[in-house]
Amino acid sequence: MAVKALYEYDHPSRSRQELYGDDELVHVWWENNPMFCAAACFRVPTAIGWREFIEQMVNPWAASDPDFQPGSPTDWTLDGQPWQPDEARSLADLGIGHKSVVSFRAPTTI
Amino acid sequence: MAKKLPLKQRYAALTRDVHWDPSYVAAEKVFPHTTFEGIKIHDWSKWEDPFRLTVDAYHKYQAEKDKRLYAVLDGFAQSQGHLTLSDGRYLNAMKLFLQGVTPLEYASHRLFADLSRNFNGPGPRFAALCQSIDELRHTQTEIHTLSNYNKYYPGFHNWREMHDRVWYLSVPKSFFDDALAAGPFESLIAISFSFEYLLTNLLFVPFMSAASFNGDMPSMTFGFSAQSDESRHMTLGLESIKFLLEQDEGNVPIIQDWIDKWFWRGYRVTALVAAMLDYMLPRKVMSWKEAFELYFEEQMLNGLFPDLAYYGIRPPRHVEQAIAEKDLVSHQVYWTLYQFGFAAAFTTTVPEPSEMEWLAQQYPDSFDKHYRPLWNKAKRIQDGGDRFFFQGLPELCQVCQIPMTFTEPGDPTRIAQRASVFDGERYNLCSDGCQWIFDREPEKYRQAWLPVHQIYQGNCGGPSVPEVLEWYGITDGDNGEYLGSVEHRHWQQWHAQQAEQTAPMGS
Amino acid sequence: MTTAGTRTVGVDLQESSEDNRRIIEAIERDNPDCRIKHFPGLIKIQVPGRLVVRRETVEELLGREWETHEFQMAIVTYYGHIQEYDDDEIVLAWDH
Repeated sequence: MAVKALYEYDHPSRSRQELYGDDELVHVWWENNPMFCAAACFRVPTAIGWREFIEQMVNPWAASDPDFQPGSPTDWTLDGQPWQPDEARSLADLGIGHKSVVSFRAPTTI
Repeated sequence: MAKKLPLKQRYAALTRDVHWDPSYVAAEKVFPHTTFEGIKIHDWSKWEDPFRLTVDAYHKYQAEKDKRLYAVLDGFAQSQGHLTLSDGRYLNAMKLFLQGVTPLEYASHRLFADLSRNFNGPGPRFAALCQSIDELRHTQTEIHTLSNYNKYYPGFHNWREMHDRVWYLSVPKSFFDDALAAGPFESLIAISFSFEYLLTNLLFVPFMSAASFNGDMPSMTFGFSAQSDESRHMTLGLESIKFLLEQDEGNVPIIQDWIDKWFWRGYRVTALVAAMLDYMLPRKVMSWKEAFELYFEEQMLNGLFPDLAYYGIRPPRHVEQAIAEKDLVSHQVYWTLYQFGFAAAFTTTVPEPSEMEWLAQQYPDSFDKHYRPLWNKAKRIQDGGDRFFFQGLPELCQVCQIPMTFTEPGDPTRIAQRASVFDGERYNLCSDGCQWIFDREPEKYRQAWLPVHQIYQGNCGGPSVPEVLEWYGITDGDNGEYLGSVEHRHWQQWHAQQAEQTAPMGS
Repeated sequence: MTTAGTRTVGVDLQESSEDNRRIIEAIERDNPDCRIKHFPGLIKIQVPGRLVVRRETVEELLGREWETHEFQMAIVTYYGHIQEYDDDEIVLAWDH
């Protein structure tokens, strides 16, 4: 269903990928940890390697929970599908798209 | 002076009789906005205003309401009333109100001014004009009332700019912008019916009762004063919907669609109120769950909707999810505010043990099982000299703009993730309700100004948290943890002084 | 299915003023089936089917003239449909 308007209604997305240059937005969700009220959103170069992404961005965020152990995440999914990241490849190569959701499970104590 | 006419005749003379039909310009040119939405009106004169308000009565009673309010404000300021509040923490609820709700009153003033220009019939035009003036009065009285606290407490100084910029305030702001950007009939159903009639009781009544219970007489008074106008606004909402449904059968599915959309939009905004009621009031008056059951389930679902069934209207789509969430939503939202408290213009803290007991009693099916353990861990972190904050930015819902914290229907342990693809781009959504709204009008919601995305585009002062806070106008002392905060220290100092200055009996 | 005659309607009134106490008394007198709940600063009155506020009763209890528009000074909110609002009475009920 289209927007009912008095004129032709066509405006671009305010979060489209081109607004982030060579970067994109990626969501990371620690599925089994209710300490985090939501998944995190990162702006990240599509060319960055998975290992660098985890070490530079995901680990410092996950460490908001003092029980986080770097290296402990398992059971990855990409946009809801089970998925195994290859550490050496880039986000673009791994098929992680703009505003994708990547999830994992890891031990914590509540 | 001649004897006053009876109410009905006075209303007819002063409201309906001042209308004329245009003769040398086509009616569609004078009122160009009332056809494109597909709503058909055959006879505008059938619209009823039960209040039969006339301009003389309006001025008389509104002036009296203001006089009463300002007497309370003066007395409160004069007698150091802020020292008699239940606790310094209480004012956080009022900061959220001033930042989040007061600017909506102003937006509503604009909306109804626009409606009073655009409707063809004199009845709804005059009702909308009165409401437009009411909303401006609410804006002013709320600012005046809460300005007294700005002398003593942080967080009250930059609410207007904050409303346009700060992440959690984009929730109420985008809700109203959505209505302002719709056609006149949709915005009427959105605000007058779905918000004013269905939901504002949940926003104002328990909350103002709580202001009374927490010693905040001025806020109670402005709240009830505003709410007394609200009963007229609710009437406009109910009369409008009945009028539209009776005018043409073809209007029914259009109206149903709008009720479905705007119930869920408005319900998501009230989630902030849920958090205020259960967590931000040191002295509790009623839980969110109880308020929801009383003001929504009992009065609306069991009272109003059977009445509307006559016209072929059913309860709003996704209402069963709102009912199921009544045990969860306040906890989920306050937990979110707590962990993003570094970027909020109010302070948050772990509930006191007695408050946790109250929450456990009010929410026997959810609090001890799902939320008390989180607060216990937050407390352990705090006892260790640290404070739990989410070190990053959250995923937001494209429609309601709340961080994606809400859980799967039937599973409070799993965050709900929905996504829609439109024109090759992925959009993330928090619930079936928000996804349904997005899929109906993706061209509209893809333009959403999502705070997290805007920060990452560099539009919010800079990439670091201090730069963003500066752009928000949040200064040191506005945000973060309540314990040890500026307001907490002030509160303790003032009360210690009072104790010193009071001669004890029997010494 | 419930009918319009049995589903409750109601008003919430400010508790505070002398005038309001008389209005509440008048409503109680004219609506013997009403149920009253107290909240801080607020009184909630619910009646099955139909709630009426009669000018004459209010005037008798207030001991002065009172016009029905003045009810707007007391009301905080209501639910139901305002079926009648004239010089003599205010009636809240569901239509269907």
